[in-house]
Amino acid sequence: MNPVSKFLYELQEIAFLTWRVLVGIKRGPRYVTETIDQMDEIGVGSLVIIILTGFFTGGVLILQAYPTLAFYGAQTQAGQGVATTLVRELGPVLTALMVAGRVGSAISAEIGSMVVSQQIDAMRALGTSPVRKLVTPRIVALIVALPLLTVASDVFGLIGGGLVAKQIYGLDTTVYTSSVRNGINIDDVIGGIIKPLVFGVIIGLIACHKGLSTQGGTVGVGKSTTSAVVSASISVIIADFFLSKVLQTLFKTTLF
Amino acid sequence: MSLAEHLTEHEAPPETDFEAPLDNRQRIVPAIEFSDVELAFDDVVVLDKVTFRVRRGETKIVLGGSGTGKSTIINLILGLIKPDSGRICIDGEDVTEYEEPEMMRVRKKIGMVFQEGALFDSLSVYENVAYRLHEEGVDEDEVEHEVRRMLRFVNLEDAIDKMPIELSGGMRRRVGIARALVGNPSIVLFDEPTAGLDPPTARTICELAIKLRDLEDVSSIFVTHEMNNLDYLSSEYAIVDEEGNVEFETEGERLCLINTEVIMLKDGKIAFSGKDEQLRMSPDPYIHRFIRGK
Repeated sequence: MNPVSKFLYELQEIAFLTWRVLVGIKRGPRYVTETIDQMDEIGVGSLVIIILTGFFTGGVLILQAYPTLAFYGAQTQAGQGVATTLVRELGPVLTALMVAGRVGSAISAEIGSMVVSQQIDAMRALGTSPVRKLVTPRIVALIVALPLLTVASDVFGLIGGGLVAKQIYGLDTTVYTSSVRNGINIDDVIGGIIKPLVFGVIIGLIACHKGLSTQGGTVGVGKSTTSAVVSASISVIIADFFLSKVLQTLFKTTLF
Repeated sequence: MSLAEHLTEHEAPPETDFEAPLDNRQRIVPAIEFSDVELAFDDVVVLDKVTFRVRRGETKIVLGGSGTGKSTIINLILGLIKPDSGRICIDGEDVTEYEEPEMMRVRKKIGMVFQEGALFDSLSVYENVAYRLHEEGVDEDEVEHEVRRMLRFVNLEDAIDKMPIELSGGMRRRVGIARALVGNPSIVLFDEPTAGLDPPTARTICELAIKLRDLEDVSSIFVTHEMNNLDYLSSEYAIVDEEGNVEFETEGERLCLINTEVIMLKDGKIAFSGKDEQLRMSPDPYIHRFIRGK
């Protein structure tokens, strides 16, 4: 199968999976306990790495931007730059990439292992739909957890930026806070929440699809896991571009 | 002591068709029927006009070398894959064109024992056996009662709280059998359940299949490539003695076994169909080589 045909085939399979997830959500049975477990696994389990990622990203933004801003005498706007960049772009994207790495790989490996050990076949033989039992709870959990993780990342990013500005460059906290408030508005916050909702769906669908289509034993599990992380990460970055354009048009805003 | 009483006190298997006998008209309808079933993956023909039927209470032993399509037959019965042509009927119901939701209903009357057990790694033995009942929202007290009955049937009640990783290969298969029997399926499919097991454990698995056939009136397909399995299943039968214990007797001592037949697959086609005695006398060189290994 050539790459174009393979891409179209994968796209078709993901479209079918999406449809089956939607049907599953509508008709049930709904696996509430599994969904809550997944929220715990995905949300609470990823919180520490997301906080660290956000904190140091905010810090490094100030670290790199402050000297340039100071050169132009605009150092009081440092908070605005960090806030806008984090809330609109880096917060959602970096959080999604971290979750794609941590959770996407885990989902793909878990489902892939179940496929090669016939547990998925056993599930179907026992009258349970693997899509409803395994896929839907994970996607719902990602849709709920990713925006919350993004907010955590944004908040700790701003805190990290503020600490670096204060400790390294001696910028007054009040000035920084005021600048942050000027830098973001409600549209940014809404946009920053919409993106992770979409990213959650993308990561969940790709990871579950790759897991369910695993072939070839344990080697196949490794391949599908790698493929899931790579595909989800690239898809998140590509989707971010188009989402940003749509949100810019919708909210009539531009960066800076 | 009646058989039902015996089962309750000793083996405690599921309440099955044995206690509610099928009427004659129902018994005529085959439990499983394949008619000219064909399946190919790309250019590779897996099944070529395969036709056979499994009667009520019958065990059909499916023999054949690796890659001859044995497990494919089981996957087709479960609707995990669809045939390219032909017809598959379960309990007289044509399921060939059934979509997944309809197959879910049909699968409820089929128990499946996988080659390696296919137990859910993240669930305990109890949760594995209880899986179907939990999915149906059965009350927990009833679930525990049923799970313990099933585990007693496979002599594994002591392992109820263990995780699959703590079990030996034979124990995993037996838990798989217990899980397959929950819900009182009228059809049980065995996909090479003794592969890789030591002879005594393999014998135990075969005895469970014999008990299901002779004491539970379960129709089954037993996929294997091990001749020992054929010997056990086609020459021994289970009875309940006067003390209520299950005994295994050899064909010929009291009666001749008529509810077990063999089909042998070769290159996706049925190379043989009939009794084990006929199989052993077959002049076909492929069958001869398969039976004797040379």
